[in-house]
Amino acid sequence: MSASLTILAQHLLNGVLIGCAYALIAMGLTMIFGVMNIANFAHGEFYMLGGFVAFYLVSLMGLNYFAALPVAVAAVVALAIILQHAIFRRLREAPMMTTTLVTIGLSIFLEHVALLLWGPQPQSIPTPFPTKPLSFFGVYTTPLYLFCMAVTAALIVVGHVVIRRTRMGKAMRATFQNKEASALVGIRIDRIYAYAFAFGAALAAAAGAVLGGFIPVEPATGGIVTLKAFIVVILGGMGSFVGAIVGGLMLGLAEALGAGYMPTGWKDAIGFFAVILVLLFRPEGLFRRV
Amino acid sequence: MKSLRLVVAVAVSLAAAPFALAQETVRIGVVQPMTGPVAYDGNIYVNTVKMLADDINAKGGVLGRKIELVVEDGACNPAQSVNAAEKLVVRDKVVGLLGAFCSTSTAAVMEVAKKHKVPLITGISTAAQLTEQGNPYFFRAVATTPMLGNAFGPVLPKALKAKRFAFLTLNDDWGRSMQASYPKAIESGGGQIVANEFFQQSDLQFLSQITKVKAANPDAIVLAANTQQAVALSKQIRELGVTAPLVGEGAWSSDSYIKLAGPAAEGVYGLVEYVYTIKSPVNDAFVKEFQAKLKENPSKFAGAAHNAIHIMVDAIRRAGAADPEKIREAMERTDYNGLVGNIKFDAKHQAYGQTVYLSLVKNGVPEVVETAQISKAQP
Repeated sequence: MSASLTILAQHLLNGVLIGCAYALIAMGLTMIFGVMNIANFAHGEFYMLGGFVAFYLVSLMGLNYFAALPVAVAAVVALAIILQHAIFRRLREAPMMTTTLVTIGLSIFLEHVALLLWGPQPQSIPTPFPTKPLSFFGVYTTPLYLFCMAVTAALIVVGHVVIRRTRMGKAMRATFQNKEASALVGIRIDRIYAYAFAFGAALAAAAGAVLGGFIPVEPATGGIVTLKAFIVVILGGMGSFVGAIVGGLMLGLAEALGAGYMPTGWKDAIGFFAVILVLLFRPEGLFRRV
Repeated sequence: MKSLRLVVAVAVSLAAAPFALAQETVRIGVVQPMTGPVAYDGNIYVNTVKMLADDINAKGGVLGRKIELVVEDGACNPAQSVNAAEKLVVRDKVVGLLGAFCSTSTAAVMEVAKKHKVPLITGISTAAQLTEQGNPYFFRAVATTPMLGNAFGPVLPKALKAKRFAFLTLNDDWGRSMQASYPKAIESGGGQIVANEFFQQSDLQFLSQITKVKAANPDAIVLAANTQQAVALSKQIRELGVTAPLVGEGAWSSDSYIKLAGPAAEGVYGLVEYVYTIKSPVNDAFVKEFQAKLKENPSKFAGAAHNAIHIMVDAIRRAGAADPEKIREAMERTDYNGLVGNIKFDAKHQAYGQTVYLSLVKNGVPEVVETAQISKAQP
């Protein structure tokens, strides 16, 4: 393969790796927004906690890496359920601004609890994968990167299937569309809310646990993740799952290709610029609410 | 009525008590990143300064009084660092300031120092233009990035056996200063610059930038990053199949970096103002105490903290009074022998005369492979 084609392929692969992560995190955020009408500014903290709990389990408690990942997600889901029950359930009828402010406060709270528990030092989760890079036709990746892509892609597919093919998913979509009507036909709204919040948190935590192997996680990580997740969700259309997936991949690829072929100092700006362009022509995002 | 007057009297005397106590200690303010992307190194700095201040107090303090450190979090964010400095100067009435770690934040805090006429010393911020602003209250106790570049740039092509050099640095005053000043020095040693890439302080993965650098086919990569990003960078550079040696300004010789980066840290060169493997009586004592109290080997940020607090206390001693203006004048006449040799300040309050080091990580230990002395900055 010619050198420039190899480089392009490498950039595309990098973009897909990061894009899958963005898509996974954004799916959770859009689910919480779609079902519960909450703009969850603490979403990045679920990612961060997923990473930290996984790190704690693997390096400090010696748990097997592949066992630690689901346990970490379960721990964050438990926290999410508690938060839903204690806080968001009471805010069901409150205006969106109120719940948004609550999530901002929650984000600050969770970041600083993490700071107290684990300190500011960034941690990578030790993985059992060999670190030697693999190369195919000059394009480099590692077993860990492949694992990340496989897991995030699988979770995206699982999420999509749950929403589209299961009864629970149908109930969630019904609640999306019309809360009162869904209640009238017998859907337990409070249960749906709990599931949506837990599922959204689970997706973010899974991303954190899996990516924590090569992207060090620290308490401040949550903020950046939340920002990227919101960009993707706004780009894809708030409340649209397909939008979150497509938007995530688009942002990942735009950043990778932008950094690859334009001055790298502008990498983030290029991603945001692409988002602005899309919103100029489609203000509601790429896809409409499902 | 009588009991009310008693209550008021007690309240007033309690309120006045801190001011009475303030006369007893010499207050030095510290603005460092305790949270945020550079929190790890910022906390090391603060812990070092606290440890050394306790030592000085155990020996009687300065001017017969104890040193009291007041620490505020600047988070390497200019706005937050300014707030922190204002608090220290206005509320806590400190007589000197140490900080603020990141060059961009230090630039902001410099204005606070000038406004309130309190001397500020940094042991870490290396962006060149900080000493070009004619701010009489700012002192820099560390070689600037261009000075380091001039000292080691010509040596790098031979030391690294490299001709093609690629830059991959933080996109801030520090990183840009490096990419503006190093190329000439490296070219004078026979090197050639093939890439100039940047990343943001908030970036967690650098795959795109690394791929772009790789496309330029470098023999060596020159970096500027602090611990948190240095670890991710080293790992990801190796994971993308880039085998060229790395040489960096920043965290590339500290224990925390070596431990966290693991095998990716082997063979990494560091351009450092301090490394714990320096052989000298002052350093041996410092390393021993640091290992005992803080349980790791001192990084270059600990070394910077050592310089900053000692130079500040030395100036206070020579000033003869805890008066910011007198301390500032005394600091100008500094002739201090410490951790890294002799330090004096030139007319722009830039330190010169100290030794700087090229470290190489061998089997997890950053050995010193080259030294140079910082000559007075060229005008």
